[in-house]
Amino acid sequence: MEGLDLLKKDWNRQQPEDKKLSVKDIYPMLHKKSSSIVKTLFYISVGELILWIIINSIPYLFSENYKAKLDHIYKSDYLLTSLTIFSYAVIVLFIYLLFKSHKAISVTDNAKTLMERILHTRKIIKYYVLYNLIMAGVSLALGFYYSLTKDPKFTNAIDNYSNNEFIFLIAKIIGVVIIFILVIWLFYKLIYGLLLKRLNRNYKELKTLEP
Amino acid sequence: MNKELEHSFVELLEKHQNIIHKVCRLYTNNYDAHNDLFQEITIQLWKAYPKFRGDSKFSTWMYRVGLNTAITLYRKSKRSISTQNFDGVEFKINAEDYDDTEEQQLKLLYKAVHNLNDIEKALVFLYLEDKDYREISETLGISEVNARVKMNRIKTKLKTVLNP
Repeated sequence: MEGLDLLKKDWNRQQPEDKKLSVKDIYPMLHKKSSSIVKTLFYISVGELILWIIINSIPYLFSENYKAKLDHIYKSDYLLTSLTIFSYAVIVLFIYLLFKSHKAISVTDNAKTLMERILHTRKIIKYYVLYNLIMAGVSLALGFYYSLTKDPKFTNAIDNYSNNEFIFLIAKIIGVVIIFILVIWLFYKLIYGLLLKRLNRNYKELKTLEP
Repeated sequence: MNKELEHSFVELLEKHQNIIHKVCRLYTNNYDAHNDLFQEITIQLWKAYPKFRGDSKFSTWMYRVGLNTAITLYRKSKRSISTQNFDGVEFKINAEDYDDTEEQQLKLLYKAVHNLNDIEKALVFLYLEDKDYREISETLGISEVNARVKMNRIKTKLKTVLNP
């Protein structure tokens, strides 16, 4: 007898009686907090939804000036109104998709399916963040465009700029956007990297078994 | 959830707790981590219990939930991080360690199994628990053929541990 068969013989002989728990020991365990990654992922996704809604509403809620300007533009501009309705519809859609994919995660599925469903949920959050970043970019560009065409103060200021100064201003805006995106990207890499490290490693291993 | 459900669950778990202990033994390397994983598996089993239908055996169901928790859901708590190794020994195999006695061979084998990756451990665990390849493949979500191929590779790997 060698290798695994030797181990099998011993494995079935061994009974870890020293770790035998009584009914009394087990009861309190049922009400302890779980430290499962699915639970953490759920909290992250809810946090994510709230965070981006707050980020998008902060300027509107706290700056009277901005609010007045925006309300004026909304009244007169069809594009911005539809864009806002669209962005709320997208948030509702993401809430629905996240809820659905969280519900689909079941610990009684086979290992591969379970991993795939968790990764699917993570993907939805990723798309949500991506969508918000794109929307932030679009808003920035639109804001710039509106200021350039409809804000006399801004137009006057720009008129006084030399060509070089204007290019420098654009470069500065692009630079800030790149840094902002980079920081967010690193932040996500870190959060999900740590959270899903084991899952990703094991999923990869399972995938290599199925060429 | 009602008391009756809780009671029936705890009774069943107490009876079959060895399955969870064995999973913990494979996937953790110290006492605290063992208890931590045991608790997480228990929580996952309890959460899934209302959906448990008697059409599969409770023990079969436990294997699946136990392994899924160990290889996918479990996030190591701070408490379980320890430098202390299983049985207080280093999992390193030198030529000098090699001894022909069965006891020594077993020690080497356990060390080698502990050094396998999570998926390989799951395969070995189900094999040691006398599960057939159909059940192994269904638990992990891979084909029966691939489960067999991988198992043979692990067997060879473990054989070389004894004949370096």
